[in-house]
Amino acid sequence: MNSNGGVEIANQSMNELSIKEQEADESVQVTCFSEFSDDVTLHFQIIRLHKQIYAWIGCNSAKFGHLYAAAPTRPSNNVSVTSLIGGDSDNTGLGIARRLVLKTGLNIVLACNIPKNSPMLEAKAEKKLMEKLISLGYTMQKI
Amino acid sequence: MAMETSDPLFPVRQTTLCLDIQGNKTDIIVSSYEDHFLVIVTQIGSMGTILHARKEEGVSIDPTFNVAVVFGKRDEPMLAACARKLIEHISNSGSSKALVLSLGLRDHSMGTLKGIVSAVIEKLF
Repeated sequence: MNSNGGVEIANQSMNELSIKEQEADESVQVTCFSEFSDDVTLHFQIIRLHKQIYAWIGCNSAKFGHLYAAAPTRPSNNVSVTSLIGGDSDNTGLGIARRLVLKTGLNIVLACNIPKNSPMLEAKAEKKLMEKLISLGYTMQKI
Repeated sequence: MAMETSDPLFPVRQTTLCLDIQGNKTDIIVSSYEDHFLVIVTQIGSMGTILHARKEEGVSIDPTFNVAVVFGKRDEPMLAACARKLIEHISNSGSSKALVLSLGLRDHSMGTLKGIVSAVIEKLF
């Protein structure tokens, strides 16, 4: 009699826990941070939605920059990327979006105002963003 | 329950809001950049259709607006109408910022879009 009651309580708790996990999983998470170095400040904003990630990279300013969307194309390991706003002659950020998806398997929308012809800055921003995505546990596959 | 979710030193202000619109749980995040507002409205866990709305710099007194879908459904006039309402509000409040609006919705009914417009204008702008 007691053991049956115990099993029921355990089942109920487990159901509650999995519902909570699901809710937490489905809620929106926003992370912001800045990296200061030399004469350049990089700002990062990451908004995690259940099935997609939006990120913004700001270089010294809070201008929105160009907008790109990138996603893995199943079943192959290819990545599709496109510029949505801006980014026609100046594709800074396009490469970042593509490589982020390649390494993480996530569906990403990226806004980036890094000036063109700054490969070192691009690489640094990409590295920082990547590290953060990993540390937040958002990535889906091993690099 | 709108929540300001940024550290005051971060250059982008954000506010998040979670509410029920016509029976669907809706997350709204508004971010304010130097030259743009980004409004993400999602019921489906992703950004869905993305629109870009701008005020045209013109000679005439009344401003004109340009609204374009940059990603997603291009045949849903209600989505563009929603973006237009919001950019008009932004302009009327004195700002020349452009708007990037993402709508990831379960339904595109008038009721839902009106609910979204009023929630965004009332609680966040």
